Amino acid sequence: MIYIAMATGFLLILIGFYGALTNRNLLRMIVAFSIADTGVNLVIISVGYLPGRTAPILDTTVTAAAAATRIIDPVPQALVLTAIVIGVGITALMLAYALKLYEKKRTLDIAKFTELKW
Amino acid sequence: MVSAIYILIAALGAAFFLGFLKDGMRATAFAVTLAALVFMNFVSAGWLWSFAVDAAAPVEILTAGFSPPFAINLRMGLTEASLTLLVSLSGLLSALYLKDVLLALGRRSMAVLLIAVMALCGIILTRDTFNLFVFFELASIATAGLVLLSEDERALSAGFKYMIVAQAISVFLLIGIIFSYHATGTLNIDGMADASTELKTGASIAFFLMFIAVVAELKPFPANGWALDIYESAHPAFSAIFSAASGAAFLYAADKLLHIGGAAWFPLATGIGIITFVAANLLALPQSNDRRLLGYSSIAQTGLVLAVLGQQDILGDRYLFVAGGLLLAHSIAKAGLYWLSGLIAGRALPDWAALRSRPLLIFAFIVFIAMLSGLPPFPGFYAKWELARLLAGDGRIALLALILFGALLEAGYLFRWFGYILKREQPAQPVVCTPHKLAPVIAAVAAGWALGYLWGDLSGHANLLLTVPLLFALSFLLLEWLPAWIKNTLAIAGMLAFFVLTYAEYDPLRLIFAVIILIGGPVIFLASYHEHGRRLGFYPAAMLMFAGLALLIRTGDSFGFFAAWELLTVGSYFLILRGKHSEPHALSYIVFSLGGAFLILAGFALAAQGAAQYDLASLGLLTQPLAPWVFMLLAIGFMTKTAAIGLHIWLPGAHGEAETDVSPMVSGILLKAGLFGLFVLLMSMGKQQLYGIELTHVLLWIGALSALLGNLMAIFEEDAKRLLAYSSIGQMGYAVFGLALMNHLGWLMALMFVINHYIYKSMLFLSAGGVAKRTGTRDMYRMGGLITLMPLSFIATLIGIIAVSGVPPLSGFGGRWIFYNAILTSDARLPMVVLFFAGPIAFLYLFRLIHTVFLGQLKDEHRKLKEAPFWIILPQMIFVVLLLVFAVVPGLALRRVDIYLNQFFPEGGLNWAGTTISSNYGYWNPVAIMIAVAVIFGSLFAWLLFVNRKAQKVKQFNIVFAGERPYRPETTHFAWNFFAPYRKALGFMVQPFVTRFWEGLTNLLHVAADLSRRLYNGNGQSYAFHFIAFVVVVHFLWTGV
Amino acid sequence: MTGKSMIKRFLALLLLAGIGAMFASLLLAYVPDTDLNFTARYYAENTASDIGAANIVTAIIVTYRGLDTLGEVTVLFLASGIVGLVLSFGRKRDSTPRNLVPVGELLTTASQHLAPVIMLLGVYVFVNGHLTPGGGFQGGAIIASGMLLLLLSDPLKRFSHTLIATVESFSGIAYIALGLIGLVLAGGFLDSRILPNGILGELISAGAIPLIYSLIGLKVGAEFSSMLTSLSETEDL
Repeated sequence: MIYIAMATGFLLILIGFYGALTNRNLLRMIVAFSIADTGVNLVIISVGYLPGRTAPILDTTVTAAAAATRIIDPVPQALVLTAIVIGVGITALMLAYALKLYEKKRTLDIAKFTELKW
Repeated sequence: MVSAIYILIAALGAAFFLGFLKDGMRATAFAVTLAALVFMNFVSAGWLWSFAVDAAAPVEILTAGFSPPFAINLRMGLTEASLTLLVSLSGLLSALYLKDVLLALGRRSMAVLLIAVMALCGIILTRDTFNLFVFFELASIATAGLVLLSEDERALSAGFKYMIVAQAISVFLLIGIIFSYHATGTLNIDGMADASTELKTGASIAFFLMFIAVVAELKPFPANGWALDIYESAHPAFSAIFSAASGAAFLYAADKLLHIGGAAWFPLATGIGIITFVAANLLALPQSNDRRLLGYSSIAQTGLVLAVLGQQDILGDRYLFVAGGLLLAHSIAKAGLYWLSGLIAGRALPDWAALRSRPLLIFAFIVFIAMLSGLPPFPGFYAKWELARLLAGDGRIALLALILFGALLEAGYLFRWFGYILKREQPAQPVVCTPHKLAPVIAAVAAGWALGYLWGDLSGHANLLLTVPLLFALSFLLLEWLPAWIKNTLAIAGMLAFFVLTYAEYDPLRLIFAVIILIGGPVIFLASYHEHGRRLGFYPAAMLMFAGLALLIRTGDSFGFFAAWELLTVGSYFLILRGKHSEPHALSYIVFSLGGAFLILAGFALAAQGAAQYDLASLGLLTQPLAPWVFMLLAIGFMTKTAAIGLHIWLPGAHGEAETDVSPMVSGILLKAGLFGLFVLLMSMGKQQLYGIELTHVLLWIGALSALLGNLMAIFEEDAKRLLAYSSIGQMGYAVFGLALMNHLGWLMALMFVINHYIYKSMLFLSAGGVAKRTGTRDMYRMGGLITLMPLSFIATLIGIIAVSGVPPLSGFGGRWIFYNAILTSDARLPMVVLFFAGPIAFLYLFRLIHTVFLGQLKDEHRKLKEAPFWIILPQMIFVVLLLVFAVVPGLALRRVDIYLNQFFPEGGLNWAGTTISSNYGYWNPVAIMIAVAVIFGSLFAWLLFVNRKAQKVKQFNIVFAGERPYRPETTHFAWNFFAPYRKALGFMVQPFVTRFWEGLTNLLHVAADLSRRLYNGNGQSYAFHFIAFVVVVHFLWTGV
Repeated sequence: MTGKSMIKRFLALLLLAGIGAMFASLLLAYVPDTDLNFTARYYAENTASDIGAANIVTAIIVTYRGLDTLGEVTVLFLASGIVGLVLSFGRKRDSTPRNLVPVGELLTTASQHLAPVIMLLGVYVFVNGHLTPGGGFQGGAIIASGMLLLLLSDPLKRFSHTLIATVESFSGIAYIALGLIGLVLAGGFLDSRILPNGILGELISAGAIPLIYSLIGLKVGAEFSSMLTSLSETEDL
């Protein structure tokens, strides 16, 4: 189960990279990176998973005293939230850039934005 | 002390606060921004003070009230304090510089700038890997935003390309962090470092991914196209931050990761770093856009520091000194150069000629490129020295060689650029200079000098900025407003005073050099009285050269020697560059000289075997197999200055194109630095064998060939000053030959050449310069018959060539006499024969000098010429007297040296009895010879007058030639292509093979660079390709190795 | 498909095979922990007594690793600021009124009724962040989605930039101020124990976490809204 999640995560990263490396359309590249981000997030939470345990929230079934043996690792869960939010911020930013680039040249082809080189 | 967390809080608080301000209150917003930045500087500076001065212990800052690893902690120590100060200071100065732009774009841009600076400080302070990731992301997002401050529309695509790569980087970073967390159970950097043996193996993919992601932010070759685009298109003030501050912060992050990974990962850092350093400098060669060029240079310097990070195992407690010296020198210089670029309207390198209207800014530029090239007295110099010493001490020679090669490339393009500034046409648009843009530049210059002082203090050697000669030279910078004649008097007085003060400290050998430098220099300076006005730039440069020379002969240890060598090299470069057409020649001079200096550095480092102090005298204690290599490195290094054949191509142009009073300085005096080096080398190391080859024997050949070919090239030269320059190559060849003989008389002969060459070459250069000044040309076939108009110049030239040619009665003969005696005692017959041939060839060019210039028919346009100016004639007359005196009583100088040489070669000295000098093979009585020659000359002259008593004077234009109309008039002049018959016979020997070789080499480098940089095709997707390929290939190589 | 893009695809696959190999070895070498590592164990055992938050993840996010979260909020702040900056980059002043296809009755009416509910849900999510899954970021995102709905139903609608900026700045400053109070009154910057821990599982508990998370929720909501409005005000392409 945990390996499936992790493998899926890795696969998503690879798919994302493949998309980003082969699609010349700016928007598709952004989407591709979002897919890769998702893969990363999946890998992160799968690292914190311990088989047979429950979410790190204390209630009547998971008491504070028994928590250490009942819950999964909460750290990756905290990290993944940060990672997601940062990913969202960057995606928004890239979209805004793409919009402006399109406005300038009326194209979304990344190969057309090569005035800076060498 | 204010807690370091307030650095972050102040920036964030101010950034959030800016939202309260209405859009119209931009000035207030700017004030808030500046206030926050000032506060951040204040906090960092306070900590730096307490660590550096009070030696306080590093402080841990806990957040959330829990100790690590359960909560994030920050650390403030000496390194953190210096780096946060660097970051916030460059942020503050850039903010000031950006005033107009920030006011135009409003509070959002200011908030982004604040957060960028905050994020970089966060990277430096944090001790938590994931927190590091967060600050990384903040820094890269802020970077993408700040790129937009530029007026350049292309910045938008640069920002997008950066984000593409940043996305890919963050994927690897996160995967690396989470698996490292899984391996160690902590996110804390120190915790990871303590916990894991797994990450330290060098095979850990988790650590590899984390590390490669951080390294990718350091713009490693070839995954750095995105960074170049940012450097080129961003606002220069942001590029300053990006280069100085971001580079520093990311490097420190890499250092933190190496702290986790440990020694197993050091080679990876070094490998990536050094490849980046060399490749980026190489690719910079064909670059013509100033900001992109600086970008290449930034990438290179960051690579160098990364390579140094990987050497911390051998750097030990000098690690911070070396890495810090290189990093700070780079950061300050690069920030300064970017700020300067904002004052220049055009983007091509020659557009920087606009700086010529602002001497202060030229000075700033010089300081910056000197810092980047690691020249004294700046921190990079001390760091380079330490680095070379420790690398060589541990046998990491290949790395040292690569570092020096890259540094030479970098110096090459930086100094070429400087040549453009001084020599290219000034563009129409002037330098835009507002106070808020000037202040950061000045601040960077001041910081450079302050750090130079500090590093000198920490170096463990003498602080160069406290040495009297250098201080004296630098004081001329402050006196630039004075008229030239006052500065000239000060210079002369200073040099003479220094000689008087130090007179007693020299041994006889050094005394000869001291006299030539400190007395001979002022004699040439007499000619400088001829120049009027303020003569900006001349005195600091000249005095820098003389300071280097004075330090060179006074120093006893290798560090002092090398520092002096670099000082005199730089000083003389600036002097040479002053010539009207000397741009390319000055460049090849500095490149050859720095190349030679690096060989000397490598030689000393190798010899010291890691020892912090190394006396020159200890060179003699070296044994096989090291000794011959050290010998070779040092000898080649010194011979770049003596312009031995093969390394000579810079000399004719450099000496020929220099100003009238500069030529004698760089020829008569500067060349002796190389000979002095060879003296010191041979004195302590003696004969060395490499693979069975006697190295002094190789030197003999080099000397002989230099003499022969130098003289040969001189005879075919049309330009009087270049002719003299080629002749110097030959003369130095003689001196090298004499030294390489390794016997008493050989050395005496070399010394004789040291003295003679100073006198007659200075004299001839002055007289040729004086003639050129009057006639407006240096081409000899355009002159003729000047004997009656410029009799004093004629006399100086006549005496000079008699002395050079080595015929009796003048001192040149003394040199020859000792020389013939010396070769009779040696068994090196073949090079001796070669050298023998060089003698008569010298007659040919010398004859031409007097014949075509002073004899023959006077040109119509020269009819009204006057004698050369008084101040140029005066030193010549002094030299004439000196030559005569030295000819009659050579013992004045040589006798003491002869005795001194006995300790090295007890055999074969000369006997000095009265006016007679005798050797094993014969005797020489200068006084008798002088009398004999005078009698012969007098009688012949009298006879000539007698037989010509009835000769009829013919007017110049009483011509009886047949009417012929030449198409190229100069071809009919008898003096044109004077030695054409010889050229037919010997021309093959003066084909510019050597020039072609070096030109071919530079062209090859340029072409290779020009092809390789096409890798950066400008396509963001390709950059993503590069990055991923970089990760895969590095991983493959790393695990493969 | 052209030959060039074939080569590109092939190269991409080749590179990804390299990356994939790295990932594969990570995956194959991965052994899930059977017990919590010492960091996680500390959180599991001490969160209740230290912080008093039922949701351990929230305790980590808001308190233990509060600096990350502050950074995270700053990322959004930065992103929204730069989006505004990018979109104003070279914008023409005289924007002609746009002719849009009418959005339809269904969307207009539904959004008018749904938006307040959605926003209320957002507030609920961030106020209960220390008790249940969710928190400031999730709540903020929900609020912004309400804004998005309003924008979709009336694309010409203009929200007050000043209001959004004020909310953004206020919540940011207040967040930092709470952090500073932690520095002064409790153990360090962003220490949430400046208010009593209360009883585990109750709404008013876990020190300042509900307060902080609410501020984060407001800030995130404001930042997303700012990005959305910036984007909606751009010219039609």
